[in-house]
Amino acid sequence: MVSNSNINNVKTKTIGEIFSKDPKIICRNVDVFYGEKQAIKDVSIDIASREIISFIGPSGCGKSTFLRCLNRMNDTIDTCKVKGSISLDKEDIYDEKIDVVTLRAKIGMVFQKPNPFPKSIYENVAYGPKIHGLSSSKEELDFIVENSLKDSGLWEEVKDRLQSPGTGLSGGQQQRLCIARAIAVSPEIILMDEPCSALDPIATAKIEELINQLGKNYSIVIVTHSMQQAARISQRTAYFHLGELIEVGETKKIFTMPEDKQTEAYISGRIG
Amino acid sequence: MNKNNSKMLTADEASKIVASSVIRRRKKNARLKTYGRIAIGLAVSFLIFLFVSIFSKGIPGFFQYYVTLDVFLDRDRLDPKGDLSPESLYNGDARSIVLESLYKVIKPKGRKEKKAAKKIISSNADVRISKMVLDDPNILGKIIPITFAVDDDIDSFLRGYIKRETPSSERRINDKVIKFVDKLSAENKISYKFSDYILTGSASRSPEIAGIKGAFIGSMLTLAVCFIIAFPLGVATAVYLEEFAPKNKITEIIEVNINNLAAVPSVVFGILGLAIFIGIFGMPRSIPLLGGMVLALMTLPTIIISSRAAIRAVPPSIKDAAYGIGASKLQTIFHHVLPLAMPGMLTGTIIGMAQALGETAPLLMIGMVAFIVDIPGGVTDPGTVLPVQIFMWADFAERMFIQKTSSAIIVLLVFLILMNAAAVILRKKLERRW
Repeated sequence: MVSNSNINNVKTKTIGEIFSKDPKIICRNVDVFYGEKQAIKDVSIDIASREIISFIGPSGCGKSTFLRCLNRMNDTIDTCKVKGSISLDKEDIYDEKIDVVTLRAKIGMVFQKPNPFPKSIYENVAYGPKIHGLSSSKEELDFIVENSLKDSGLWEEVKDRLQSPGTGLSGGQQQRLCIARAIAVSPEIILMDEPCSALDPIATAKIEELINQLGKNYSIVIVTHSMQQAARISQRTAYFHLGELIEVGETKKIFTMPEDKQTEAYISGRIG
Repeated sequence: MNKNNSKMLTADEASKIVASSVIRRRKKNARLKTYGRIAIGLAVSFLIFLFVSIFSKGIPGFFQYYVTLDVFLDRDRLDPKGDLSPESLYNGDARSIVLESLYKVIKPKGRKEKKAAKKIISSNADVRISKMVLDDPNILGKIIPITFAVDDDIDSFLRGYIKRETPSSERRINDKVIKFVDKLSAENKISYKFSDYILTGSASRSPEIAGIKGAFIGSMLTLAVCFIIAFPLGVATAVYLEEFAPKNKITEIIEVNINNLAAVPSVVFGILGLAIFIGIFGMPRSIPLLGGMVLALMTLPTIIISSRAAIRAVPPSIKDAAYGIGASKLQTIFHHVLPLAMPGMLTGTIIGMAQALGETAPLLMIGMVAFIVDIPGGVTDPGTVLPVQIFMWADFAERMFIQKTSSAIIVLLVFLILMNAAAVILRKKLERRW
């Protein structure tokens, strides 16, 4: 447990409001190293329940790295070391007692490139519930699959071909299938790593609409290169630069009255 | 950008220079293409030469000369005890019955001519009669036509390898025998047909009845043992090295050594097997179990290397996807990585097994070169394998073994081609194109 006293008592250079009233994830003084190289420098931020927060910043600024720290996907990289504390519901996720399997069941992830399993649409969605034992019967599993596909707005398009390969769908459909796969295990938080960067504008619009819908039930952290996208879908925005969290705040405020010079330069298109 | 103060070329100048170099570059391309074609042409012509040579020698090896005789199956002589038991038949005098029917045709005069006549029919003739009687006792007491393989020297003579013009003293068969063979030919008693022995017989010193069945079964058993040991071990090693092993000095040393092992001459594995399996564990020699174990040692590096390559080729995005929804490492490997890597791993394994199938040297070391007539019934029965059989036959002096050697090579090649075809089909079948 992270003691309450020092949660909001943290030294940070970040401008803006890093705290939130109803924090789901609390990150304090997070440093990330790839071998000798420091990718993330002293980042502290709260992520609230049922909020959509976007991470923006130029390429290589560490926003994806930071995102992957939140569900410990960086564990798969041997040289990656994480310092500081990240807690989910006040429990340190890097604690030895925490099993990454349960953590990732709570924090789903959607990747940059749609990556459905080379299996049927049904199998793609059913895989998570199956390995976590979330359903005790075929009917329950069918129900989960149907609901997840409905929630991801894919049901009407695929209900007649659930047994056909997931990789046969279009790029946008594949990405929505990946979202359905993520929400099938009933997570609390969904991390999205540039989910629309490989998609055309129409597919992107669909996914954005979907993210807005999902924001009512889940906390969503989205990394994006598109500032318009960040402005359209997120309530809060965090600007990263060279591994540092420069500014955090209400999306409106960040895009209209950024306090920091670098943030202003980036959103007005002068760097990045 | 322009440190040495030279001017940038204009677009015109640049395109002229490019145009002048294009011809040179095109010529280089054409030259490389020609070299490639020459190399492939050479390789193909060698292959054709090999096939023509082996098939022209080997195909006749599948056929042999037979002599058909009307044999009176005398009950008293064939079955002295009268109970039709194998021992009784074994004790019977089938040989004299065969010779009697032969004499009826060629009518030899005197002891010397009879001695010569005895050389015509394969020594296996009596076994053949005993078997026929055992299969169907009703034929006893009747006169029926039976075909017998002719002796290998007669076979070689009929094929023209032993020439009539050669002086009698330098021939393996004398004038009297030739006279009898001519007589048999004249009476239409001699026929040339598909051999009863090459595919179903086992090792023998008499080439006319030698076959590859024993060696074939030995090869199958050895390969089965080899696969059962090498495939799981190899895949497990590959999975560990790719997915679990920490990247440190020890892992590196292990990796380098596995790669080196793949290049170690196979005979060294034979010596290792001799020293460890026979020397220390005291396993019996010449058995397919031991052969399979030695070949497994030899194939392991191949399987490990190809399995690792196959595992590495699985897109990381699939692994990310599995980890992302909370699959454990084991689930990720078994549900996603292994199914996707399986075609590659199987291909590598089959190539390794094909290599093992053709291996001779390590098996010589562990005594699989023994002359074994019995067909092995299990992995612990002494036996030999196809390449060793080929090696042994190539060493024998009799003319007929030259054809038999090529025939055995054809069988081995067909076996190999079938295995490779299986690899291709498996890969096509298991490969998920979606």
